[in-house]
Amino acid sequence: MNVSIISKSKDEDAIFHQFQSLDKAGVLQEVRTFNKSPISPKTCLVILSKLIYLLNHGYVVNTSEATDAFFAATKLFQSQDIALRRMIYLVIRELATIADDVIIVTSSLTKDLTGKQELLRSGALRALCTVIDPSMLQSIERYMKQAIVDKNPSVSSAALVSSYRLLATSADFIKRWGGEIQEASTHEQQMIQYHATGLLYKIRKHDRLAVSKLVTKLSKSTRSPHACCMLIRIIARHSPLEATHQDFIESCLRHKNEMVVYEAACAIIRLKQNQSSREIQSAISVLSVFLSNPKAVLKYAAAKTLSRVAMEQPGSVTICNLDLENLVQDPNRSIATLAITTLLKTGTEASVERLMKQIAKFMGDIPDEFKVIVMMSIQSLCQKFPKKHQLVMSHLSSWLREEGGYEYKKAIVTTLLLIIDSNPEMKEIALGHLCEFIEDCEHSDLACEVLRMIGKEGPKASNPRTYIQYVYNRVLLESPQVRAAAISVLGSFGSECPDLLPSVVVLLERCLLDDDNLVRDRASLLLAMLSQDTGASLITDGLQVSLFALERSLLSYTARPQQTPFSLKSIPLEAEALEEHTLPDITGEKEPSKDPVPQKETTLSKQDQLFAQLGSVPELSEIGLVFKSSHLPTELTESETEYVVHCTKHMFSQHIVFQFDCTNTLNDQHLDSVYVEMECQGDGFEMDCYIPCPALPYNKPGTSYCCFKLPDDKMNVTATFSNTLKFTVRDCDPNTGEPNEAGYEEEYVLKDISLDLSDHIQGLIRPNFSSSWDQIGGENQIEETMALSTSNTVEEAITQLITFLNMTPCDKTNMVDCSKKSHTLLLSGVFRGGHDVLIRAKLIQSNAVTMQITVRSPDIATCDLVAQSLVS
Amino acid sequence: MIPTVGFNMRKVTKGNVTIKIWDIGGQPRFRNMWERYCRGVQAILYMVDAADHEKLEASRNELHALLEKEQLHGIPVLVLGNKIDLPNVYGERELIEVMHLNEIKDREICCYSISCKEKSNIDITLQWLVKHSKASSS
Repeated sequence: MNVSIISKSKDEDAIFHQFQSLDKAGVLQEVRTFNKSPISPKTCLVILSKLIYLLNHGYVVNTSEATDAFFAATKLFQSQDIALRRMIYLVIRELATIADDVIIVTSSLTKDLTGKQELLRSGALRALCTVIDPSMLQSIERYMKQAIVDKNPSVSSAALVSSYRLLATSADFIKRWGGEIQEASTHEQQMIQYHATGLLYKIRKHDRLAVSKLVTKLSKSTRSPHACCMLIRIIARHSPLEATHQDFIESCLRHKNEMVVYEAACAIIRLKQNQSSREIQSAISVLSVFLSNPKAVLKYAAAKTLSRVAMEQPGSVTICNLDLENLVQDPNRSIATLAITTLLKTGTEASVERLMKQIAKFMGDIPDEFKVIVMMSIQSLCQKFPKKHQLVMSHLSSWLREEGGYEYKKAIVTTLLLIIDSNPEMKEIALGHLCEFIEDCEHSDLACEVLRMIGKEGPKASNPRTYIQYVYNRVLLESPQVRAAAISVLGSFGSECPDLLPSVVVLLERCLLDDDNLVRDRASLLLAMLSQDTGASLITDGLQVSLFALERSLLSYTARPQQTPFSLKSIPLEAEALEEHTLPDITGEKEPSKDPVPQKETTLSKQDQLFAQLGSVPELSEIGLVFKSSHLPTELTESETEYVVHCTKHMFSQHIVFQFDCTNTLNDQHLDSVYVEMECQGDGFEMDCYIPCPALPYNKPGTSYCCFKLPDDKMNVTATFSNTLKFTVRDCDPNTGEPNEAGYEEEYVLKDISLDLSDHIQGLIRPNFSSSWDQIGGENQIEETMALSTSNTVEEAITQLITFLNMTPCDKTNMVDCSKKSHTLLLSGVFRGGHDVLIRAKLIQSNAVTMQITVRSPDIATCDLVAQSLVS
Repeated sequence: MIPTVGFNMRKVTKGNVTIKIWDIGGQPRFRNMWERYCRGVQAILYMVDAADHEKLEASRNELHALLEKEQLHGIPVLVLGNKIDLPNVYGERELIEVMHLNEIKDREICCYSISCKEKSNIDITLQWLVKHSKASSS
């Protein structure tokens, strides 16, 4: 019936054109003429069409309007005109969910369903199923069962599809029709097979065994291609491992319908993704046949699936390379792009050059979104073949000069930045291309991104002076955002290249008169920082303290000025420094925002919450500011016990505070004066004070603290604490929940807590490790050589070292180049009290891992401590 | 006989008069829809089970409620007491009394006893309808 309407709309464009200016009130007015007698089927048909047009174009009809229209339309049942009657069915279906009392047409529809007029039966059935409510379903159940197995295919199919919809509200009824539906699933009409298969599956969906049986049965009898596709999907979802089902999918690869073959191939690839490439070979070979099929849709589908496989297992797609190469010239650009990107992933190093040439040929003809896809494959190609960077780069630079949208340019810039990061030899050439690009770049974001990279890599280049002109041009020509970023870059050059410092200062001084606040502020800040040594190192290293803590300590310093000058060393470091691999926000632009950003914010605020919580305990205000807090609380109880206790360690310069977050999970107990008694197995730790939690009612968390003074002997850093939870219990009245007056003492044994070296050290990222290393110098240095018996590979050793010391790897030295025998790991951190610690560890893989470690710190005692701990 | 779920529509031709009959279900859930199908008609036939004495009170109330509707003012009503083949059934007089038909003054009102089963008095019912058809009333 829908088809007839659509074809009509093509024939009578004029009518549909009129419909565009319809108004709802007018049509609802016209609908009233249905109540008049006699009726004209022709006029009524047009009015009903208008009504459907309105409903399908989002006009909202309220319940009373819909009910009036509905009842008016029911008056048209007096006409025996077939076209009109079928249009009435459509209107009933549209209005059934909006109007009231639609059940009124039940008898009339049932009469049409069981009547002699074949043309009306399926439409009447569909309409009937939309007006029926679950309570009335019983009255038509008999007709539904007959309809499912009706010899008229359109009636049978309508019954199956309507049952599919009714399943949501009346599953119990539909399940009773299982026999009839089974019978329909073997109907000679393929459409009915498909509809019945869908319905049978939906009925059994939640019963794995039943689904499996169903698939086994239907996979033998079904001939409908759609049903086959559906079975393949069901298998993929429910029982991918069953052997008979796998055989069915395999046999579908030889099905005469291409849709089924494709579905089977995709399923095999998805299911066996993680297995050997031999497993998916059968699927790959049918897809490669599709590649040379004249139908564009098959070529596209096959190329798309193959490109996905190529991402995971490029090796298994290589057999299609020949066919794919033919498709590179395909007139359909989507297919050509997919072919190229797949080839880029599967191709050998030798073919890269030819492919790049081909890409260059059609790059101008394809839309930006495809260009971005191509660029993504070039990125992965760069990772695979570092030797081809030079070739790729020459293309990239010419594309950078051509026209293109933001996303496309961004992809090119990202690729270049990736090359800079991974290939030191290409660094300067790539930077050169990027410098040229920002000379004429309309996207401030990209300009800032490039400037950031220049600030990071430029000062280390062979001739840093060349970049100054490009950067200063930005200050002269660009928007405030870019100007500010450029200023920061000038700052990095000034701090890292002493010979450029005088010229940088001159340039920055010129910027002091800029129109923009941010630009002026940055220029004057940088000038001030460059004029003193510590400031200069801040430009490269950034401010790594917790801003929240900095604010608090500045406030308290100004409130109570002290004799000694304010020192940044007393401020706790940013706990997330470990995760930060890029330069802190000194160049001003945002980091490319990806998923980790929101996560970082939440953990940061958690750290700040801890600071605030600690600060609110008056007893602890005397011992200074917290140096670091442990990342995650340790559980001291099994989960789901009577009392749940978590411990967080807060390290101060001379003290350690244990924070116990306790929860009482017993609803018949009220706890008072709760604290954790700690006994220390270790020398020199002195109990300072307990701060109990005054009351712990049911399920309301409370906090108690315990503070220890750290040993005077700095070598003493490790200890174990055994803990007992002590409290007074008052039983609660089971009825009112009120606690009794009298209580009694009780205790509860908790797990031990250990204190390690890592608790005393905070990792710190150092963008310029070697300068910091040289700054400390060789006087405060200890060297040790040792064999690491617990680790088998260099990677393992690195992970262990980092966890043991809680220090941050610098210059990406935690990434191991497997081709080299020895590896140098650079670690940086701060010991409690603000003593920097730097470590250079040379790791050599022989039978076991041997390590030569050099520790440097301005404080020789710290040096000694770290080295000693490592040895033992 | 299955009760009417909703309505049925049927045309009957007698001589040169064609009567369109809207058969509306009597179950409680359909009663509020009666009015929609009674608007603008030539006559309302109200069929009751004259043997079911207990239900007649509800039947009476529903009829009077229906006839109070503004839009149905003046439409002639024929009340049919069905099932006179059964024993202990109300006759026309008793029905007029029980249904308070005398209280209806604003229209023509008539009451017949019939039996659908034995087809008795169907002829006079049809005659009544033909008499009230559009042609003869205008």
